[in-house]
Amino acid sequence: MRVATVAARAALSVLPLLLSIAPGFAQTDCKQVIAPSPFGPDDQTGATNRITPAVTKAAAAEIQTGTATPMAFNLVDGVPLFGTRFTKTILTAVSTMPGAEFGKNKMSYMEDTYLSQSHVGTHIDGMGHIGVLDCYYNQTPMGKYVTQNYLKRLGLENIKTLATRGVIIDAVKVFQQANKLKTNSACRNPCLDAGTVISEADLQAGLKMYNVTLREGDAVFINTGWNDLFQQYPAQNAVYNGGEPGISKSAAQWLASQKVVAVGADTWAVEVVPHEDTTEAFPVHVILLPNNGIHIIENVRTDLIAAAAAQSGRATFFLNMTVPKAVGATGTFVNIEAIQ
Amino acid sequence: MVLRRRPLLAGLLACGLGPARAETRRFRIAFANLDETPGVTVEGLGFTGPDVRRSFELAARTLPVEMLYFDNAGDPARAIANAEAAIAQHVDLLIEYNADADANALIGRRLTESRTPAIGLVHPLSGAPLYGPDNRGAGRIAGRALGAFAQENWPNEQVLSVLIGDLADAGSAIAERIDGISSGVHETLPGLQFASLDTGGQSVRADALLTKFLQRQRGERILIATLDDLSAVYAKNAIEMNRRQSDCIIVSQGLDRNIHGGASEKKEIDPNNRGGVVLGSVAYYMDRYGYDVLPLALRMLHGEILPPRTFTRHTLVTGANVFREYPPFDMN
Repeated sequence: MRVATVAARAALSVLPLLLSIAPGFAQTDCKQVIAPSPFGPDDQTGATNRITPAVTKAAAAEIQTGTATPMAFNLVDGVPLFGTRFTKTILTAVSTMPGAEFGKNKMSYMEDTYLSQSHVGTHIDGMGHIGVLDCYYNQTPMGKYVTQNYLKRLGLENIKTLATRGVIIDAVKVFQQANKLKTNSACRNPCLDAGTVISEADLQAGLKMYNVTLREGDAVFINTGWNDLFQQYPAQNAVYNGGEPGISKSAAQWLASQKVVAVGADTWAVEVVPHEDTTEAFPVHVILLPNNGIHIIENVRTDLIAAAAAQSGRATFFLNMTVPKAVGATGTFVNIEAIQ
Repeated sequence: MVLRRRPLLAGLLACGLGPARAETRRFRIAFANLDETPGVTVEGLGFTGPDVRRSFELAARTLPVEMLYFDNAGDPARAIANAEAAIAQHVDLLIEYNADADANALIGRRLTESRTPAIGLVHPLSGAPLYGPDNRGAGRIAGRALGAFAQENWPNEQVLSVLIGDLADAGSAIAERIDGISSGVHETLPGLQFASLDTGGQSVRADALLTKFLQRQRGERILIATLDDLSAVYAKNAIEMNRRQSDCIIVSQGLDRNIHGGASEKKEIDPNNRGGVVLGSVAYYMDRYGYDVLPLALRMLHGEILPPRTFTRHTLVTGANVFREYPPFDMN
């Protein structure tokens, strides 16, 4: 017993030493790799801090006809997924069988279980999704806050409201007008091809097309036409996943400088793939999420709101989107509507 | 009067109306590719012509260049015709990827006559700087890795070595790679002789050839150098089927998609494949040539004289660095 105690004490005394010398366990100095948050050193919310009551009230002025345009895809078997991701519903309680009903009013009910990864379908990336080494948004040393089941910091429960103004930028129209559209043959309607870089100049041209000036707190959505392939699931899943048009690093920096709260697109990563520098991994994600606290929204159905904007001449709308208070989650599928 | 005009000129310049704000000139660069026939691999590796072309398309996206593409289709006559077409279209520079020496000599002369700058890709083009692999150096990296593995893991044990690939390929590139592999291994295991298993260009044969070899050699540790990644994949299969995982280690050449894959694909080299028999592959980066060559072309077009030969960077890619060298991009 005594021997065991001594051995245990020795092991405990050696453990910190081992941790300090093992190269894989060294904590990165997060102040060196991630920008500080403008919302204070304890902030876990990110850019949705910018959606103040005044911002929401101003956004509500976008509702003129009350028309709600869907901006999310149905989450169903067969849609493009990535790697080993999956999404599946299973009916777990069915009381439609004779004799299973309840009470003399014969109430029956059904429930299901959602077996799904969170970053599937139309979904939002939270602050816990992307980092640099073990450093995440607001210079958070994430290794301290990871458990087997959830994050103890930066979870989705920290998001404030997303009741703000949405802006659709139609990159397809921008590229058509500039006579530089190179489409993909698998798209039934014009789309930007995979690898097409959308620059800040392109974004500005798209805004100018509808006389829109970005405001602090806006959520920006980009229509590349790539969602045409999503709609052809499962036939075009491989093409959809194989690459995508998207914004450049400098375009992401420009959007961050405009103090937007979210950037969405009808693609699976918002940014151009293959990247401008193919030796980097998702540089736009790194710019927007950990370094600026700006959410990324992927697989957004943008074609309908782009068409509505072309018809009405209005590229702004009230963003109707809420995010479940999933404690410690890195992302979740969402429903989005553009209300005009 | 003079005093009044100077501020006006300065104002115009400050507003971006003067010559200081001139648009960056866009150069017209032609790339004549070796062979874009579907399924045809190039240089004895797993890369294809479209892989090389795509690298130019991707690299050109953010550079001040307008690209013109030609497919030489592995045909010297067509390569000459393509070069003539590029000259006729007054391109600023031609990047010529053609394996035929006689045709390259003729193309070089025509380019000199027309004062069209050029860069030869992989194969020498007379009068032009050359960009391409360092075959001997890449082979040496593989040989050193095999030797170091044997020294660290199998000291004082009987070690054999096997070379698998298209050994009958008459090209000097293959011979240089083999020479490099041999010299690299000999740095730590002097005198070690390689057994040769010739796939004749059919990588699938690596499986049967190595199976026969393994059945003859029992008890020895075996270092395996493959000349292409697909051969490495088939060799790995033979090792697994013969349950010789603890006796064999493979280092390959190329680092094409057969072996690094994407995040959604099966990868032979992966940080999670602990104990896998494929130690790594020496990267040739043919799917990134454009990122190296177009900046060289722009330097030439801005008047810089390039060295006669620029080598591709080669590095051994293993599970420890594969995600850095080829980041998988399906983790949205």
